[in-house]
Amino acid sequence: MNKTNSRKRSAPPPQPPPPTTKQALSQEEEFVDEDVFIDETLLSEDEESAILRDIEQRQALAARLAKWTRPSLSQEYLSQSRSILFQQLEIDYVIGESHRELLPNRSGPAAIIRIFGVTKEGHSVCCKVHGFEPYFYISCPPGMRPDDISRFHQVLEARMRESNRNSNVRNLVIDVQMVQRRSIMYYQQLESQPFLKIIVALPTMVASCRGILDRGIQLDGLGMKSFITYESNVLFALRFMIDCNIVGGNWIEIPVGKYNKTTKSLSYCQLEFDCLYSDLISHAPEGEYSKMAPFRILSFDIECAGRKGHFPEPTHDPVIQIANLVTLQGEDQPLIRNVMTLDSCSPIVGVDVMSFDTEEEVLLAWRDFIREVDPDIIIGYNICKFDLPYLIERAVALKIAEFPILGRIRNSRVRVKDTTFSSRQYGIRESKEVTVEGRVQFDLLQVMQRDYKLSSYSLNSVSAHFLSEQKEDVHHSIISDLQNGSAETRRRLAVYCLKDAYLPQRLLDKLMFVYNYVEMARVTGVPISFLLSRGQSIKVLSQLLRKAKQKNLVIPNAKQAGSEQGTFEGATVLEARAGFYEKPIATLDFASLYPSIMMAYNLCYCTLVTPENARNLNIPPESVNKTPSGETFVKSNLQKGILPEILEELLAARKRAKADLKEAKDPLEKAVLDGRQLALKISANSVYGFTGATIGQLPCLEISSSVTSYGRQMIEHTKKLVEDKFTTLNGYEHNAEVIYGDTDSVMVQFGVSAVEEAMNLGREAAEYISGTFTKPIKLEFEKIYYPYLLISKKRYAGLFWTKPDNFDKMDTKGIETVRRDNCLLVKNLVNDCLHKILIDRDVPGAVQYVKNAISDLLMNRMDLSLLVITKGLTKTGDDYEVKTAHVELAERMRKRDAATAPNVGDRVPYVIIKAAKGAKAYEKSEDPIYVLENNIPIDPHYYLENQISKPILRIFEPILKNASKELLHGSHTRSISISTPVNSGIMKFAKKHGGNRTLCSHCKGREAELYCKSVAQVSDLEILFGRLWTQCQECQGSLHQDVLCTSRDCPIFYRRKKAQKDMAEARLQLDRWSF
Amino acid sequence: MGRIERLQSSYQSLDESFEIGKEMYRGQQYSQIYFARLRLMRTLLYSLVPLWKPNSPVCTVLGLEEGKDCVIVGTLFKHMKLKPCILDEYSKERSVVPLVKPHNFVHQDDYLDLEDESGRVKLGGNIIVPSVYVTGIVVAIYGKETGAGDFLVHEVLEAGLPPQIEFPIKSREDRYVVLVSGLSVGSSRSNPLQFQLLVDHITGHLGDEKEQSIASQIVRVVIAGNSVEMPRGLLNGQNLASKDLSRMAEPVKELDILLNQIAAGLPLDIMPGPCDPANFALPQQALHRCLFPGSSLYSTFRSCTNPHCFELDGVRFLGTSGQNVDDLDKYSEAKDKLDFMERTLRWRHLAPTAPNTLGCYPYTDRDPFFIESCPHVYFVGNQDKYDTRVIKGSEGQSVRLVCVPKFSETGVAVMLNLRDLECHALSFGTQFSS
Repeated sequence: MNKTNSRKRSAPPPQPPPPTTKQALSQEEEFVDEDVFIDETLLSEDEESAILRDIEQRQALAARLAKWTRPSLSQEYLSQSRSILFQQLEIDYVIGESHRELLPNRSGPAAIIRIFGVTKEGHSVCCKVHGFEPYFYISCPPGMRPDDISRFHQVLEARMRESNRNSNVRNLVIDVQMVQRRSIMYYQQLESQPFLKIIVALPTMVASCRGILDRGIQLDGLGMKSFITYESNVLFALRFMIDCNIVGGNWIEIPVGKYNKTTKSLSYCQLEFDCLYSDLISHAPEGEYSKMAPFRILSFDIECAGRKGHFPEPTHDPVIQIANLVTLQGEDQPLIRNVMTLDSCSPIVGVDVMSFDTEEEVLLAWRDFIREVDPDIIIGYNICKFDLPYLIERAVALKIAEFPILGRIRNSRVRVKDTTFSSRQYGIRESKEVTVEGRVQFDLLQVMQRDYKLSSYSLNSVSAHFLSEQKEDVHHSIISDLQNGSAETRRRLAVYCLKDAYLPQRLLDKLMFVYNYVEMARVTGVPISFLLSRGQSIKVLSQLLRKAKQKNLVIPNAKQAGSEQGTFEGATVLEARAGFYEKPIATLDFASLYPSIMMAYNLCYCTLVTPENARNLNIPPESVNKTPSGETFVKSNLQKGILPEILEELLAARKRAKADLKEAKDPLEKAVLDGRQLALKISANSVYGFTGATIGQLPCLEISSSVTSYGRQMIEHTKKLVEDKFTTLNGYEHNAEVIYGDTDSVMVQFGVSAVEEAMNLGREAAEYISGTFTKPIKLEFEKIYYPYLLISKKRYAGLFWTKPDNFDKMDTKGIETVRRDNCLLVKNLVNDCLHKILIDRDVPGAVQYVKNAISDLLMNRMDLSLLVITKGLTKTGDDYEVKTAHVELAERMRKRDAATAPNVGDRVPYVIIKAAKGAKAYEKSEDPIYVLENNIPIDPHYYLENQISKPILRIFEPILKNASKELLHGSHTRSISISTPVNSGIMKFAKKHGGNRTLCSHCKGREAELYCKSVAQVSDLEILFGRLWTQCQECQGSLHQDVLCTSRDCPIFYRRKKAQKDMAEARLQLDRWSF
Repeated sequence: MGRIERLQSSYQSLDESFEIGKEMYRGQQYSQIYFARLRLMRTLLYSLVPLWKPNSPVCTVLGLEEGKDCVIVGTLFKHMKLKPCILDEYSKERSVVPLVKPHNFVHQDDYLDLEDESGRVKLGGNIIVPSVYVTGIVVAIYGKETGAGDFLVHEVLEAGLPPQIEFPIKSREDRYVVLVSGLSVGSSRSNPLQFQLLVDHITGHLGDEKEQSIASQIVRVVIAGNSVEMPRGLLNGQNLASKDLSRMAEPVKELDILLNQIAAGLPLDIMPGPCDPANFALPQQALHRCLFPGSSLYSTFRSCTNPHCFELDGVRFLGTSGQNVDDLDKYSEAKDKLDFMERTLRWRHLAPTAPNTLGCYPYTDRDPFFIESCPHVYFVGNQDKYDTRVIKGSEGQSVRLVCVPKFSETGVAVMLNLRDLECHALSFGTQFSS
């Protein structure tokens, strides 16, 4: 990582270096700074001038691009006669030469913080901050006097020099200071102790210095000594933000005279200047400063022309189109809409179509576009993993060295590296990390995967889910055909590409991601880019560090404990009394249970009393709390905990935000406040998780196990109180019964049958029980479930009432069949049954409905699209150890037609077909289209037994006796019908009935009846045919062009195909009547 | 009592263009019918543009230039918020309260696009009112593209009434055509006696000599759809027992007996309607003769298509069983049903909403609903009430518009005089004052 800085700019590399690809495992627990030397990524002068010439040649294009530049600077800005106020979005640092004027005493390489942001007027800002130096703490060895420090400094410097031999930095350890601090761990009676603050030259040296101190160094008079380091794992940019009180996405001001305009500007920003870190004014995001600057958001999508049968690869397949959409934050219409195409393309209304003859021109035009438009945030769908790396790798393949200059730093190449992100909450995700300096990347796919649990994350199904819109999907094998067609077909493709660029923007608007993420950054104090690229714990750590700084506390760099510390007992779940409850069930919830427990019992790192201290320190017993798990924490009169304080602030801020939200009128302001209260809630809840993350930053299982033990105690306590108080003995109408209790809620059946009565009792109970708890733990009555179907723990469904007159919605938990490997039939069946049982209160109707569905399935009347199961193909067949249905099918399809067969990365839809006796399950999968075309019978028993039966029985078992017998084995299962495949053996023996008569003599007299039946079939199919095909026209947005869409995620795709085929057959049948 | 001869008249069927014949479903889509429609209509509108806007350039949607006034011709597409959509069946959250099925899907936020093969453009301004138009109409529009990418409409040109063949003036005597629809035999609402009275009246079995002589002047009966009501409930996808099958065909048998009586006396045209045992998509093909083993033996019995077009003594008739107007009523707004009828003539298209919201066969090379020649009589069946009006075209065309009510609900049939195209309602009541 730490390369020498000796490469001279004048020495042009013989071959343009490929983007540095580094393997880095940035696991959540490991925060690593990476020093980037300013010169390393820059192009040489020769190359630079080549680009300039290149630009001149494309003056015409430049004129077009110039239309989109940012508003020009006012005189005040130009003359530097006003202070600069801007909202920052991104903070990073580079290693460069110390600033001579600002820091006259320093020289040599130093870390320069770069803050990128936007002013109120929409000017882009690059603020270079000097003078902030990386540091960390160690505890001062006992017996070390201030005079010994310089000796220690020298020893450390020498050791550092050994491990950084080729560094040209003069002083590796800049300074060692003795300061008074206290460790956050454990309750201590001493106010503070001496610590050593070690200041080093470059951020990465923190880690190497930590290593040296960890292993131990030889000290005069003290011998070999190793040290625990404190706050040595804080990322440099975050350290800077904490020390300057900057939170993610807030406003920063640099007063007049405190900044110098950079002489030779290094960035493309309009305002670029240098300043000292002590001159920054950071505004808390309140009032005027809670607003958002008009950032430019670019949403883009690329299309590649893949070869038949292959997923596009940058080494072979050209980028043919790039669609862009630029929107100003807060506006609902895009500012710019354009598409860059390879080869001619017919115009599109409202869109600037730019066509080029070579791919190189397309790529360079896009680069110029990025530079001119200068977006602050780049969004798209799967851009981080696909679009951006593809463009960069493609440019490498085409040897366009000057392409990847997409960041805000002049002539600085974009860097790509593979990363693996692993977190308990989000699982392991592999991705490519593309660093575009100064621009925030916001990949909607990543956001979706983080924030929502969906059965499919294709753009199509995500937009169907959130925008209720189907997206036209063009199969990648067709893309090449469209590209090789005419200007018209390319236009077609461009429209499709534009739509793909538009949808991420719509999702961003609809789900208010900008507001929610900026607010989250403000609340937790981390840069916005951290929110997506890192896990939960850095957010808590950031808050903890800020708070600790105020209190003069330092946080130890905990040894990675691994899982050795063992696990602890989790939350309690009261035994569920399964059944169908037709009386109102009141739900008593603990509001923010875990945060309240931590506050109520003052649970924190700094209030924890070690067993050893408990014996030695002589703390009066009335000043401590013994938790149910056996730990001891002091009460707040002795030492107020930091975590409770953070939580109090978060919850108080949430209360304020909610109150303000009620007052707010302006929709934008509302959006900000709502985003904030949500961020505050999430943050408060993640504090507990932080203490329990065994491979986290600062695990402390004493805290987390105490929290859950209190939680368990409270649930039990509540149950007992409810069942003791609400009894007929105490004058209530019925005996209350707790039927179920989860982590933070208890379900009570008070026995009354009116919703309103149950609500009153619920409120009464909540108030009564809350009174018995330590503040701020509070039990709240929120809702009634009526009726309520309790299946087992964590699985239930019910109608949700908050007002006595009308229910709000149907609420289900654990039953939703979001599992990907279920077919749609299961989902529909479960939903419809619940609807019938809970809302219509029609149990017999639900039973009949299931029976009908099963009968339809057995009689081969089921809509095929409901039976399709989809699985992602992640590797090729050989790499799977166990044979699975979808992989086998993909292999078979490849043999049939390599061009349309699914590739790695595609999703494979299949149905299970009837096969020979004893066939393995994986051999029974088949492509739904193939099934439709060849009339292959499906295997109804597979669907009955492996798909439908479990979820259905789960629902019905609490309701029906003999559910399985009644539903799955009744008389409705006795008649079956199987379609005869056109390619099967039996058809070779069938004799086709010749002659010109439709009917045999036996049926002759019933002509009218039989005709009516046939014609009714045709008529039904015609209705369906019309509705399906016109819907597809609607989605594609054109009446005069054929529908091309092959989106297999679309629920009507197979139905449409089937309707077309059935229609043709039914029509032929009917034609036989025309004698 | 003297013998009264029934008058005769010459009849020529013009249904050929509505017959599907050997057309097949071969995987074709609906784009082709729109394409055919646009091509036909564009040729027509282009010929009108030089008179309408002599100095304006004619553009395609693609060729639009910002701020320049021009004329574009294309198919309208109406974006409708309330339009029901088949995808709703799959939406994740079924609304708790089922939507009341609205009779009309027009909403104030609806807006129009104009589309040709090259692209689509949103129409702006308040000249063109979305509630009047529907998807599928081809019009010429004069206006200009605004900066926002919209096309600001100054004026709209519709194709107008088609040319009309000359009205025959030779005849001095009264001859009547009876138009009836919605007999709904087999429905619980239909009164068998009422229909029997109608049959007896037109066949001359009722009334005195004067009435009989009027009856003798009826030269043809046209039944405009929904003659039976099939017990559709039986067809729920389950297998039918043969007992149920025969029950299903019962209303058809009953109808055959009644038609038998008419066909024995005078010529009869029967058109299929949405409830009849015929296909659903327009053009509906003639009801199969095997459904009418009795009446189909008469040469006077004609099973026709819907839409139905014919000439009677040189008077041209065009009619449908009502689907075209009913669909317009769902997706646009007008004062009355006659207005919708008039619009279809001015748009020169019998069923502009087909195939978008009205089922239709996916034609590949033509659009049979294009109205080439203006009829003298234009009727639609199965309307709520009887209504009629004459409209005049700019080139002297004159068209009698007739809304034929549902007979089973109103007891009204329509008598139309071929001599002067005057018409009146023929009302049958079976109420007895007790």
